[in-house]
Amino acid sequence: MRVRIPGLYIVLGLVLAGLIHIVAVLTLPMLAPRNAQARLAALGPANTMIELPPASPGHQAMPMMAPDVRYAFCRFDLTNAPIRLRAAIADELWLIALYTPEGENFYTVAGADMKRAQLDLILAAADQTVEEAGVDAPESSDEVLVVNAPVAEGIALIRAPLAGPSRAARAENALKDTSCGPYTKSDSGG
Amino acid sequence: MDADRLTALPNPLLLSPSHSTPWREEQATHSMRSLAYFIGTFVVALMLGIGSAWYMIERGSPLTTTKVGPWASWISEGNPNADPYTEAHVARSGRLPLSSTVARYFTARTDSAGHTLTSACQYSIVGSPLNARWWSLAVYDENGGLIENPSGRYSFNDEELLRHADGSFRINLSSKARPENWLPSGAVEQPLMLMLRIYSPRETDASGVGLVPSERLPNVERTGCE
Repeated sequence: MRVRIPGLYIVLGLVLAGLIHIVAVLTLPMLAPRNAQARLAALGPANTMIELPPASPGHQAMPMMAPDVRYAFCRFDLTNAPIRLRAAIADELWLIALYTPEGENFYTVAGADMKRAQLDLILAAADQTVEEAGVDAPESSDEVLVVNAPVAEGIALIRAPLAGPSRAARAENALKDTSCGPYTKSDSGG
Repeated sequence: MDADRLTALPNPLLLSPSHSTPWREEQATHSMRSLAYFIGTFVVALMLGIGSAWYMIERGSPLTTTKVGPWASWISEGNPNADPYTEAHVARSGRLPLSSTVARYFTARTDSAGHTLTSACQYSIVGSPLNARWWSLAVYDENGGLIENPSGRYSFNDEELLRHADGSFRINLSSKARPENWLPSGAVEQPLMLMLRIYSPRETDASGVGLVPSERLPNVERTGCE
């Protein structure tokens, strides 16, 4: 009897370890020190485009930011209305990426993929219809990107990789011309 | 052998004052031993479970990461349908990585020989051109912070590098100024981390994940230490 007990406990231990492992994997993200959403929320209000200063020692909004990329972000909140993102894409290296608060990159468009340099993107929650967006917008509908967000809150992050050190000022200026705000229909009579 | 390991853990028997009545002692000892085994098992299971979860989330495992020499890369990083390990890794990192279908990130904490990267040593990072729209190699401290240096240089990207005639390059990672491409590792002696970010790789695998041939990843060779 006493000889058999340890074997039993080893099996029990392994099963327990497996269960604890699974629980830990599912809870560790929630115990994360500070995820990206929390870090960016400290920098300003939602539905506003905020340009991040160039990453330098001790001044990084997030760990491991690229020192040779300029960033601007908009923490979107679709609770009341869809949001509209506008940017003059300065070059084909630009990347506009949309994230869930957990950091899932659910949509990305690259400058190189765009037909023209002006980005006009409408981000809507699953229950919000923006079919009239293309009609109401001054541009023809194929120039407006409509993206359905799987979440009501998240982050839009624009990356401007620098093709060389001399391009920094140009990228920073171009990022200043980006905007993010609630989408309002021009004809809201009905 | 495993039984010995279990009993070597803190044993509640030694702390318990309740072994007073002699005629029940054998039975009491037996159940106490069972309790000790159970607690021991639980403690070991807790350490194994949490330890393995932590390691697989922080450093990855063959399920989630590819390892090429010193370089490690999360295959589904940033991907909305990523596995729970990758999701936990991204949430804990505090970063917003691009989906692996758009960009690939490779990190190295050791040189190609497997020795921990440190600012106490000098390294020669030699590589060939990467087939991507843009890429950059940056050096960080072990927490992902940029390292203070007099030249304000934290990275080299494909547009900035001085290259050889065949397109290959050499980056000298060291605390003291070096010719060619000098990537300063700072005056403070500390472990280092390299990150190679490759935006829009031109080759992809069947599921659309950016493909970077392993022989294209730079070699990190230690050339000397202080």
